[in-house]
Amino acid sequence: MTALVIGGSGSGKSAWAEDFLCRRCGKRQKYYIATMQVFGEEGQKKVERHRRMREGKGFLTIEQPLDIERAAAGLRREDAPGRAALLECVSNLAANEMFGEEGEIPCERVVERIVRGIGELERQFSLLVIVTNNVFEDGILYGASTLRYMEALGQINERLAKEAELVTEVSAGIPLVWKGAAQ
Amino acid sequence: MRLMLGGYAQGKLRCLFRREKAEHCMVFEGRLPSPEELQKALLQDKTVVINRLHRWIRERLTDGGDPEEELFAFLERCPDCVLIGDEIGNGIVPVDAFEREYRERTGRLLEELAYRAKEVELILCGISRRIK
Repeated sequence: MTALVIGGSGSGKSAWAEDFLCRRCGKRQKYYIATMQVFGEEGQKKVERHRRMREGKGFLTIEQPLDIERAAAGLRREDAPGRAALLECVSNLAANEMFGEEGEIPCERVVERIVRGIGELERQFSLLVIVTNNVFEDGILYGASTLRYMEALGQINERLAKEAELVTEVSAGIPLVWKGAAQ
Repeated sequence: MRLMLGGYAQGKLRCLFRREKAEHCMVFEGRLPSPEELQKALLQDKTVVINRLHRWIRERLTDGGDPEEELFAFLERCPDCVLIGDEIGNGIVPVDAFEREYRERTGRLLEELAYRAKEVELILCGISRRIK
């Protein structure tokens, strides 16, 4: 099953998503798919710390800031029933895909690439928990490029929500379910 | 009147079109219809939809207008419309006085509209939740 978890920064969405995955995964091998691009030594240290923390909880970490479908490239599809993954997070992934080295990629292409890539992950992990960000409610009139990014992220979220069995918002660590059931 | 609220790019209009065919709606982007347009829409039995209501409020405030009075007057003429607006208040309170007033006035107006509305729904990730 696929679950989509959305919340603002500091909403507790990551902790809730991790907890949900641990409650649901049973004997499956847990993977953490990290999409943040790491810059500099400080970033590297932060990532190492998080990686060790998750290892303690039995997670294997896959760093995949771009081309999300490749996160499962080394895995055998027939083993999918034995795998669960936490993908964090779609907002980083969308920014990485959209604002790459060769300039800005059009919104539609970013949406198609990411939706298709995550579709591939759904076939590789029998439990997939996707974390995304609610960056849409501050009323700021951002520049055109940022608005295109928000449009892309909004459309990706909508497409993922359509396929997901569970869609939940998290506020102060508490789930507010929009689709399906969190229990 | 029906009120649909949600963040930017959450698929609010698409959500409406899933229930009400797009060709049965006459959508006005960030503005109210002129008297002629309204008459035409009502004659053709179309659902009048004001999309990006927050943009219209902002524009009226910029131009020194009175969005509350103008909108309530419009609702008297068109009581069965759909109003769609963005959630704009979940951010840092802006330093700029106009930006603060825009959020405050929009919030208060939405509150009053929600009170008068037959139905109110929130939309997140293209999913609608009816809250009234």
